[in-house]
Amino acid sequence: MTVDARSPEFGPEHLAEVRRLQGLYPDKRGALLPVLHLAQDTFGYISLEVEAYVAGFFELSPAHVHEVVTFSTLYFQQPTGRHVVAVCHNLSCHLLGAKGIIEHLTQRLGVEVGETTPDGRVTLLSVECLCACEQAPMMQVDDRYEGNLTPEKVDGILGGLR
Amino acid sequence: MPKLTVNGKEVEVPEGTNLIEAAKAAGAEVPHYCYHPALSIAGQCRLCMVDIDKVPRPQIACNTQATEGMVVHTETERVLETRRSMMEFHLINHPLDCPVCDQAGECFLQIYYMKHGLYDPRMVDEKVHKPKAVPIGPHVMLDAERCILCSRCVRFCDEITHTGELGIFQRGDQSEIGLFPGTALENKYSGNVIDICPVGALTDRDFRFQVRVWYLDTAKSVCNGCARGCNVEVHTNRHRPHHNQGRRVARLKPRFNAEVNQWWLCDEGRYGFKWMDDKSRLTHPLHRGGGEGAEVSWDRALPELVKRLQGCPPDEVGLLASPKMSNEDLWALRRLAEHLGVRNLDFRVPPSAPGDEDDFLIRADKNPNSRGAELIGVAPDPGGRDAAGILRAARERRLKLLWIFHHDLAASGWPEAEVLAAIENTETVIFQGTNANDVSARAHLGLPSAAYVETEGTFTNFQGRVQRFRTAIPPLGESWPDWMILSVVGKALGASDPVFSAERAEQVFNALAAAVPAFGGMTYRALGDAGRMVTA
Amino acid sequence: MAELILTRNFDVPDAHTIRVYRERGGYQGWEKAKGMEPAAIAEEVKKSNLRGLGGAGFPTGVKWGFIPKGSTAPRYLVVNADEGEPGTFKDRYLMERDPHALIEGMLIAARAIGSHLGFIYIRGEYVQPWRILSAAVKEAYDEGLLGKNIQGTGFDFEIVVHRGAGAYICGEETGLISSLEGKKGWPKVKPPFPAVKGAFGQPTIVNNVETLACLPHIVTRGAEWFAGLGTKTQGGTRLYSVSGHVVRPGLVEAPVSVTLRQIIYDHCGGIPGGRALKAVVPGGSSAAILTPDEIDIPMDVDGPKSKGSMIGSAGIIVMDETVSIPDALMVVARFYAHESCGQCTPCRESTGWIYKISHRIVEGKGRKEDLDTILDVARRGAGTTICAFYDGAVGPYISYIEKFRSEFEELIRNSAHA
Repeated sequence: MTVDARSPEFGPEHLAEVRRLQGLYPDKRGALLPVLHLAQDTFGYISLEVEAYVAGFFELSPAHVHEVVTFSTLYFQQPTGRHVVAVCHNLSCHLLGAKGIIEHLTQRLGVEVGETTPDGRVTLLSVECLCACEQAPMMQVDDRYEGNLTPEKVDGILGGLR
Repeated sequence: MPKLTVNGKEVEVPEGTNLIEAAKAAGAEVPHYCYHPALSIAGQCRLCMVDIDKVPRPQIACNTQATEGMVVHTETERVLETRRSMMEFHLINHPLDCPVCDQAGECFLQIYYMKHGLYDPRMVDEKVHKPKAVPIGPHVMLDAERCILCSRCVRFCDEITHTGELGIFQRGDQSEIGLFPGTALENKYSGNVIDICPVGALTDRDFRFQVRVWYLDTAKSVCNGCARGCNVEVHTNRHRPHHNQGRRVARLKPRFNAEVNQWWLCDEGRYGFKWMDDKSRLTHPLHRGGGEGAEVSWDRALPELVKRLQGCPPDEVGLLASPKMSNEDLWALRRLAEHLGVRNLDFRVPPSAPGDEDDFLIRADKNPNSRGAELIGVAPDPGGRDAAGILRAARERRLKLLWIFHHDLAASGWPEAEVLAAIENTETVIFQGTNANDVSARAHLGLPSAAYVETEGTFTNFQGRVQRFRTAIPPLGESWPDWMILSVVGKALGASDPVFSAERAEQVFNALAAAVPAFGGMTYRALGDAGRMVTA
Repeated sequence: MAELILTRNFDVPDAHTIRVYRERGGYQGWEKAKGMEPAAIAEEVKKSNLRGLGGAGFPTGVKWGFIPKGSTAPRYLVVNADEGEPGTFKDRYLMERDPHALIEGMLIAARAIGSHLGFIYIRGEYVQPWRILSAAVKEAYDEGLLGKNIQGTGFDFEIVVHRGAGAYICGEETGLISSLEGKKGWPKVKPPFPAVKGAFGQPTIVNNVETLACLPHIVTRGAEWFAGLGTKTQGGTRLYSVSGHVVRPGLVEAPVSVTLRQIIYDHCGGIPGGRALKAVVPGGSSAAILTPDEIDIPMDVDGPKSKGSMIGSAGIIVMDETVSIPDALMVVARFYAHESCGQCTPCRESTGWIYKISHRIVEGKGRKEDLDTILDVARRGAGTTICAFYDGAVGPYISYIEKFRSEFEELIRNSAHA
């Protein structure tokens, strides 16, 4: 088993998980998204090599896996920072100051939206509605939502990211 | 069989017919991009909208099945306005490449804009840019900006060739046709995506920038690349000889035949026409006297040939016919062999390597008329020698005359040394064919055959279907159809069979049909465009 | 104060566990439904006037009936937990705070339609809710409420929780199905409709999270009770997601007869700083915008419709007098351009184009033809696409410009390119 996205290979546990997932669906192709999530968690991101590797489990042409990956915003085709900070820029958050939060983040982190800090710590994204409008302006930091943001609160959150 | 009304005209169609086909049956054209009868329904272009009574909004015709009593209107104000809207949507990000795009003249954005659009464009913002002029395979060039994302090519690679090379990546107006990075469109039918692409997104690398399509003439024909006999159109450039590098044949396109190739053509067949305008074409009879071959006229060559034939005992004559020859050519040859009493007649020369075959169109036998040769009886008479026997006899100096039709014997499955020895050891070697090769260079007499696109005739495919090919261009130089050469020779030898006074291929075919039961009752007219099966 | 039904467990500690859920009366709906005839369950749901709460508002009992009678094909119950409509967050709360209500609702629906395999398609960004929901599903399995021969009834029902990967269009019923099948989330050409041929080629019913969460209550307390809570055409309460310029943003549970004015001013405390209301989105960003004189409407499937809008996902976004409507349109147009799946031509090409125009207007480079171009293009595309996504884009395109045209015109008048 390798965790290198350039030459990916699942270990026996993950292989068993792939088979288990495929067995849950009437057509094993239904397991493609869960397996891609598993692959991203294992290899860090979805490289072309990962796409071709995953395609093999489904007897799909790599082109059709590439279609799913490029269609979806949560599959990263390049390595990300250790943390992904995604700020919502949709309507409610926009009304309540998302632009300012984004600007604050670009200044604090020293990167533009879409970029990763040189030290590999944070990738900054600006995304569509995360459906937490009651906490606007808000952002997703890795697995969790952080809302009711102010520049101070943002600084506190960034401070906790290693 | 539901009966429905289209634009006031009643028509009956098979169960399951969609409204594009039903309208066609009623004589109405419904413009469309993504629909293709061979492929699954995509319903993406939204151009094929029609009005249906009792249905509040226009519906796409491709995904609506004809039902009993349905009343369809394809030309209402609302339908026309919807088409105009759809044309505008299609052209929003489309680059105005017409001056440099090969598709111009056969582009369905142009065609439908002129017919259904004709609005003033109002998009003043920057168009979306995508990769242009990307070779995606040996035969296909992609321009992703021109692509209207109809997905026909993707569906073709999934549903027809089952190779899945193409996909539509990203989403929204960033959507882009492409290959998985590092792969190529390399299946054996890749050229078909060029045909089905309605616009200039997928174009032919071979045809690129060669000649504008409005200069081309077209003739119905049959591919001669294998025993399938896929129906084709031969597109020729006669009006602008300074284009297409002077080559007359510009390209081949598949022609629909439900029983043979449907809509498709393999790449080898599609691009297998270069020999027709190649420098190696024999354009004049050649008489080799003491070393170099000299171009002579037919008036010189034919008497020489007749003299040599008359000087040979029939059992010392070997005739190596070719399954590349038409039914007409082979019939004339057989009649000539009978007249001469020659029993050494065969067409089976082994290929240098077994031909590739697949479970779709490609046949291992890379000749168009092996079945015809069988049915016509191009085989040794009892006591005569087959092809291998003819070669051996030639090598052993037991033949005085060896007449080779079309075969590139030195490149066949026979050892080259044996072939060259056979040529060397035979007093008179005649080569009759379209292109020069190692054997023709050594022949005493070279007779230039017209290419099949330069004449008309029929081939019999492996299924037993007799199919017509029609003249696309006049014969190159002084080349003649094979049957005509044989007919003139036969006449000079005093043969009386009607074949030997034929002036048209049709006469030869009629003689064949009268004599060989398998072809009984066939006429050119009866064969039509789709051919007919031989009688079992 | 109206009785809390859907939110009854939201503030109860550990109510997401099966233990507390059952203590508070959970799974009694299933107890009753498991002994009912499937047709009887469907009849109750029809009588309850329950409408789909994801956005389309279609009568749920009627939708179930679209599975062809006499079909013996396996049929699937698919839960649309791909909440994505801007302004909406109710399903997130349900899955985080009361996941067993969804599971119980699924069991009831599965019995009604004869399904033995259910999928919950949850948007990929909802990681915490996914964890909580998955744990609840495992609890239900452990308690024998899911799996084979549930509680000895002979009824099998499996639930597969399936995470999405970030695409709003996967919240469209057939886009969701495509994604569930392992393809990109392109909605499917209809017909065939999902109830006839859906996921994996089999009959499929797609229901929203909140819709299913209503079922235990309908079964235990009766269709008449549920219908009586609401209006003539829609029964029950529903969860209104309120955000934007309000003092108390958050979820409001109210009978569907509640008015928009009541929600904004009574439930959510009105607008901060006492500022004036300028505009309000009543049903998620795809709903046409409403002006202050249009908020005295019941927030059921008919109320907003009477003003040319829709209740949709009941995502309410409140905008006060400080808001620039052209700026809001640009944000919303950017959303539709980004989320268009790209499959069909009118939507793919014009969502991008209209975003470019709206952006240009806000940047001070608007042209005088721009507004009529947007309106005309939107009207030409409406109703022509494979799915209703584009019609959802058309809602804001047309209503923002028609109702606030002078604001746009001023920006254009002052632009360099007028």
